[in-house]
Amino acid sequence: MNLLASTILQQLFEQNTILLGVWETVYMTALSTAFAYLFGLPLGIVLVLTERDGLHPVPWLNKTLGFIVNAFRSFPFVILMVAFLPVSKALIGTRSGNGAMIVMLVIAATPYVARMVESSMKEVDRGVVEAARSMGASTFQIVRKVYLPEARPSLVVGAVISTITVLGYSAMAGEIGGGGLGKIAIAYGYQRFKDDVIWVCVAFTAVIVELIQEGGMLLARRLDHRLRQRPKKSRKTKKIICKENG
Amino acid sequence: MIRLVHLNKSYPSPSGSVVALEDVDLTIEDGAIYGIIGLSGAGKSTLVRCINLLETPTSGQVIVDGEDLTKVKTKRLHEIRRNIGMIFQSFNLLEQRTVEENVRFPLELARFKREEARSRAEELLSLVGLSEKAKAYPSQLSGGQKQRVAIARALALRPKYLLCDEATSALDPSNTASVLQLLKEINRTLGVTVVVITHEMRVVESICTDVAVLDNSRVAESGRVADVFSFPKSDIAKRLVLPDLIRTVEGAGGKKLRLVFRGEEAGAPVISGLALDCGVAVNILYADTKEIGGKTYGHMVITLPADGDGAQRARAYLKQRNVVYEEEAS
Repeated sequence: MNLLASTILQQLFEQNTILLGVWETVYMTALSTAFAYLFGLPLGIVLVLTERDGLHPVPWLNKTLGFIVNAFRSFPFVILMVAFLPVSKALIGTRSGNGAMIVMLVIAATPYVARMVESSMKEVDRGVVEAARSMGASTFQIVRKVYLPEARPSLVVGAVISTITVLGYSAMAGEIGGGGLGKIAIAYGYQRFKDDVIWVCVAFTAVIVELIQEGGMLLARRLDHRLRQRPKKSRKTKKIICKENG
Repeated sequence: MIRLVHLNKSYPSPSGSVVALEDVDLTIEDGAIYGIIGLSGAGKSTLVRCINLLETPTSGQVIVDGEDLTKVKTKRLHEIRRNIGMIFQSFNLLEQRTVEENVRFPLELARFKREEARSRAEELLSLVGLSEKAKAYPSQLSGGQKQRVAIARALALRPKYLLCDEATSALDPSNTASVLQLLKEINRTLGVTVVVITHEMRVVESICTDVAVLDNSRVAESGRVADVFSFPKSDIAKRLVLPDLIRTVEGAGGKKLRLVFRGEEAGAPVISGLALDCGVAVNILYADTKEIGGKTYGHMVITLPADGDGAQRARAYLKQRNVVYEEEAS
């Protein structure tokens, strides 16, 4: 292995640069996604409620918000990053480093998250919402006690997809002054023609993606009480076990 | 008492507005089991949703216990809705909550104390016979069980009224019967006024005291079930009450009488009497008996002999025997 690996890669490992990159990628992704949900979740809820046949139809607000969300989503992330660096300067006083990248990631991910939340909430059976209305529930109660809990498994799946998308974006942030695996891959791998560095970064990223995906899906399944009964599948597994035993 | 006064509801659509309800007037007395029957598209579901203002009427009044719901503030409307339980064809249980949590749901909304809500839920689940399913999730229940949970949930706040929107339409016959029995029991023991929306005659037959027949967005006729069922006046009511009758009678020529047997005389041998005592030969086109509220009701359509004299004698005989009849138009 040592014979094949470039000295640069060896140095990166020895100086813990790779591990640091992994850590930077993870925390940038986690923080950005968390902030994106802080803004995107309410935005998604408002989108659902103000729809024409929503609980609180406000068509002009719905159209306006929808337009803004679409506008932000049509930016390619690399362009959005460059275009909105002044916002980061205004907000946190710097236009480079991981902090600035997190601001950019939040700007890019919020509209995405809002659409994710919107589509999860729309999966909730209208009849259930109607039942809650018939019991005298207020709009706020319906959001808190019907929409969000009933959409929970779907919201978790949406969060998994959003997180992985942000992770992908965060790698691009390495291009303009962010840290993480993306930066290592570009600065040491791409610019110094060390393919092995690139592949190591890709491998680490893949592992992170896999962990988020599997962990998230497991959580979503655990949370979903609609799927408790799956007699067919359990019978199948039993059969396989029997075969293996005998 | 629920009163609907000159209720109209129309929906805007690209091709002009679609009328769902037209000048509907109904009075639902306390303690009744009020059936609203009609074919699909007649406006039944819209009508029941106007009672608790899930649908806002275009014009007219919805008066529940003297209060016009179309005029009250949102907050008051929420309070009034707690006095009007509702169950649905598709049950509409919260899938991510257990049975017990579903029953507790309206109590949570009304900010009941946790302990109080728990004991009330327990009480209700035993009322509907599902105590042992308290910790199950709706996906683990059968349709009939789900509807029972929905009923328990609808009764949680001790409402005065219970609206049932096609509550048994998704159930098999045996579950239908047991759910209807439960509704009847709730009406009798708790004094809850029940409004039943249905397209099935047998639902009205088996539990309702009053009925309104809805046709084409309008109330075609309404009254006590026994009256409407013995003498349906509107075409749609005849079609619903005696579906085979119309088919049989149409096409058959001659003078026809529809005899209605109510209660006691349902067992009397009227036809053989006609033949033996009056010497009138009648042809039976249609006959059917039904049980409504524990009483037997019979309908029979006969053709009278072509000669006027025989027909006259037959009518006189029927009058003498107190058999109610109507001339049936060809």
